[in-house]
Amino acid sequence: MSKELIDAIVDMREEDAVKITAQLLDGGTDPLVVLDACREAMGVIGMRFETGESFISELILAGEILSQISAIVKPRIQKGGAEKKIGKVILGTVQGDIHDIAKDIVGFMLDVNGFEVTNLGVDVPPAKFVEAVKSSGAKIVGLSGFLTLAFDPMKDTVAAIKAAGLNEVKIMIGGGQIDENIRQYTGADAYGKDAMAAVALAKSWS
Amino acid sequence: MNNFSEANQWDYLYTARRRVIACATVIEELLPLLPEDVASETLDFGLHLHPDDLKRALQEKINEASQHADVLLLGYGLCSMAVVGLHTTTAHVVIPRVDDCIAIFLGSCNAYKEQAKKEPGTYYLTKGWIEVGDSPFEEYKRLSEKFGELKAGRIIRLMLKNYTRLGFINTGQYEIERYREYARKTADKFNLRFEEIDGSPALVKKMVFGPWNEEFLVMKPGQTVKYTDFVKP
Ligand code: B12
Repeated sequence: MSKELIDAIVDMREEDAVKITAQLLDGGTDPLVVLDACREAMGVIGMRFETGESFISELILAGEILSQISAIVKPRIQKGGAEKKIGKVILGTVQGDIHDIAKDIVGFMLDVNGFEVTNLGVDVPPAKFVEAVKSSGAKIVGLSGFLTLAFDPMKDTVAAIKAAGLNEVKIMIGGGQIDENIRQYTGADAYGKDAMAAVALAKSWS
Repeated sequence: MNNFSEANQWDYLYTARRRVIACATVIEELLPLLPEDVASETLDFGLHLHPDDLKRALQEKINEASQHADVLLLGYGLCSMAVVGLHTTTAHVVIPRVDDCIAIFLGSCNAYKEQAKKEPGTYYLTKGWIEVGDSPFEEYKRLSEKFGELKAGRIIRLMLKNYTRLGFINTGQYEIERYREYARKTADKFNLRFEEIDGSPALVKKMVFGPWNEEFLVMKPGQTVKYTDFVKP
């Protein structure tokens, strides 16, 4: 059954995916198993995108399907009390940039892997990151950016967090062609190539 | 970097055997300016979706074109780091120090930064982009065939949910009216505010005729492009 769910998501059969999710949950399947299926489906979709087999629009549709599924699944997890949060992450696309598909996938993956994610959205100024870190007490910040124009705002955001004395906060960056050079340029603690890398980094810091 | 003896050396380069390698969207702006003796080659626009492929294609073109020319003029910006790592063995390679082609159309890096600051949620369209079919409207048509119009519309609206403005860059090209109409139609269809932004040939002109001031990276034979070459103090 969870194989059916994976196929439905991968084939972008939106209505089917939602229906199968409901059936699974009503039939007593562990919500975490459903989330695992989502995770696996996203892996396949991501791979197809990388090899050029599928397009951005499909990625968007997949993101949309995933958020519908997680809206159904999450209340059940909380009810079951099965989920203990590993840590808090503040996530956002930096100032001047409004690419958000990747950021939302990263947010989703962090979420299903047990993190409490505050998604600040797009075109987020440095001060807003600082504020969110202060008010939430989060120890991890994720900055996303696709435009090379975004590298300076990224650098400014890292500097603003440091300047606010939040030295114990770890900052990861990602998006597009970001690599070790850009990590150094921005002063971030690490960069991640994909959503799984974001999860691995966040775990290693928790 | 722009000291006097170097400037003299560049005088020679401005008239050396030159060749343009440009993206299909940028070549539109260059062609009307090119002197007869400057040959040009166009690379497929689709390459930009996969920066690694673009890098490979550019390197091949540089190697090839170096056999026929001493100076290669690249109609590309940093283009999501695709130009970083490019190497030249025999030719000089001139690259505008901009993030991407939008700065090229607007005439300078600063003009781009100004627009980006004014309204980050801008989707830019130019004649070149419309010509190569990279616009939300074309994507909508493609998706409609696959998923039906209703779902296609929903996907495009999701894709553009953070956008508020459609900036049509008028580069003063032939038949601009037709492209303006297309851009306006796109804006209406996806609930974006239409705005016409004046383009400028300033940067492409300098690229072809000089001076290659701080707005350009001039690679000497033997050099490799680094990201820091594009960083401005
Ligand atoms: C989709 C897309 C768009 C969509 C964005 C929709 C949206 N809501 O996000 C649309 C069509 C609207 C768009 C608009 C524009 N875009 Co665009 N776009 C892209 C494209 C094709 C894909 C980006 C993407 O979402 N990939 C999908 C994700 C899921 O793939 P991924 O990168 O593998 O994702 C992983 C990693 O990035 C990582 N990750 C991401 N964030 C983070 C964060 C952390 C902390 C970690 C650890 C990891 C991590 O995890 C992700 C999931 O595994 C890229 C080209 C490319 N191939 O990158 C251009 C690209 C980024 N865009 C570009 C440009 C120029 C623009 C426009 C200016 C174009 C225009 N005509 O106006 C506008 C931008 C306006 C603005 N202010 O932002 C350029 C940028 C060039 C540059 N200057 O650097 C690119 C590179 C294309 C190009 N070469 O020309 N774009």
